Amino acid sequence: MINIDCYAYSNNLRTVHPVEKSLFAMSTMVVCLTSTTVITPLIVLAFMAGGIIIRAGIPIRVFLNLMFVPLSFLFISVLTIAFSISTNPSGFWLAQTIKGLTIGIHYPDLITAIHLFLKSLGAVSCLYFLALTTPITEIITVLHKMKVPVIITELMVLIYRFIFVFMETATTIRRAQSSRLGYVSMKSSYRSLSRLFTSLLGKVFVKSQELYNAMAARCYTGEIKVLTKKYPISFRNYILIIVFELPLILLNLLGRS
Amino acid sequence: MPEVILEAVDLKYSYPDGTNALRKVCLQVEKGERLAILGSNGAGKSTLFMQFNGIYRPNSGCIKYQGRDITYSNKALIELRKKVGIVFQDPDSQLFSASVYQDISFGPLNLGLSEEIVAARVKQALIDTETTDLVDKPTHLLSYGQKKRVSIAGVLAMEPEVIIFDEPTAGLDPRHALEFMQLLKKLRDSGKTIIISTHDVDLAYSFSDRIAIMCSGEIIGHGEPSELFLQSDLIQRADLALPWLIEMHSELVKKGWLPPSTPLPKTKEDLLRNIPPKSDQQSA
Repeated sequence: MINIDCYAYSNNLRTVHPVEKSLFAMSTMVVCLTSTTVITPLIVLAFMAGGIIIRAGIPIRVFLNLMFVPLSFLFISVLTIAFSISTNPSGFWLAQTIKGLTIGIHYPDLITAIHLFLKSLGAVSCLYFLALTTPITEIITVLHKMKVPVIITELMVLIYRFIFVFMETATTIRRAQSSRLGYVSMKSSYRSLSRLFTSLLGKVFVKSQELYNAMAARCYTGEIKVLTKKYPISFRNYILIIVFELPLILLNLLGRS
Repeated sequence: MPEVILEAVDLKYSYPDGTNALRKVCLQVEKGERLAILGSNGAGKSTLFMQFNGIYRPNSGCIKYQGRDITYSNKALIELRKKVGIVFQDPDSQLFSASVYQDISFGPLNLGLSEEIVAARVKQALIDTETTDLVDKPTHLLSYGQKKRVSIAGVLAMEPEVIIFDEPTAGLDPRHALEFMQLLKKLRDSGKTIIISTHDVDLAYSFSDRIAIMCSGEIIGHGEPSELFLQSDLIQRADLALPWLIEMHSELVKKGWLPPSTPLPKTKEDLLRNIPPKSDQQSA
């Protein structure tokens, strides 16, 4: 997760307008999820992989590692769709009958499973494209522009910032504990971990009070107003997005009819 | 008579747990001066700063800005915070956004300025604190010193009249501490009133026009640095030490290397200049 965050700040698409990147990723994801053929998700997957590796310059190893993350979940869910158990052995494409129970695959189920598998991978790759090229702070700005309620975007700003503050605090405490052999045995590990959480909780309260004070000192009145860096708007990118999405949408419509 | 810009009158404050953090503090801050508040840990420096900014409300006594009492209504507080900026000791509790640019723009936007003016102010603050090249980095990937400079920029962008720095050089390496002192000099030259808290006596001595010494919630002495540091009982009571410049100077005077009429050196360069070359000594 930290890796994704680092790449979001240092990739080659960093200077592209966040709205363009979000629009590209989100519209492609919708197209991919509503696809009716196996071809669309494959095209999406190929384009996103190309975008992430070639355009954004993310190392291929990082991308593959990330794609492997949802794979295990996907396999399990896809297997339950592909395989069925029945007392009626007819209609199976590939089957094994044991004591009157038939375990096997119906051909349409297999197609559904493969389609679902590719659709999910394609959608995930769209999310990775957005996450790897756009810092969270900019995604929040886009959400703000889309009139997402202020309470949500403000919470996102604070949570995102404090994930790192607490991680640093937790790392420091853990280091201090292990330097005094806090994790030498199973028993001491449990004890040290519980103390880590207790002291972290205490620190959360102190930090949040300090943060509020510091914000109040800068005239905070209940709404977090910030300015975001301006990015150049590229019409070329909008046209590219349309040129890319239109054929896929057509393909979806053709597949439906 | 110099104009008093900020004033604490008979300030008393105790924390909810009963700790008496401030017991009757009286302090006047003059416009355009550099005031250092010296005190050991837990002397009440940070608590006093929170009062100056209206974050804490005193149990009794009051804070005056340009001679007027602070009323603690929302509007009055915003007016006060517009004029009195505070840079906190821990930059991690001051930076609320992961984006450097957003964080710096927070203060000036709260002042109700237009986006163009805010953008210009953020740019200037970035230049003043030499953080322009950090603007695209997230705050969590910055070093401590960098975070500190960004948090200073966040206050500078509000262009307050009085800037309070709580332990500004704690945790900074010598180079960045020196750069910070140069920034303070620049701010002072532009007419800002600067208050810093520290327990670094050398820093307080060379930096300030005036020093106030705090000890367990009270101001036990204030005055010009050279006068104040000659009262050794006061320094001892506050658990502080003498600045090395003064120690060195008095030792040189005691051993006859310098005539007693030599003025106290304010900087290392002053001291070195005061020491006469060897040939002079022999002829004397």
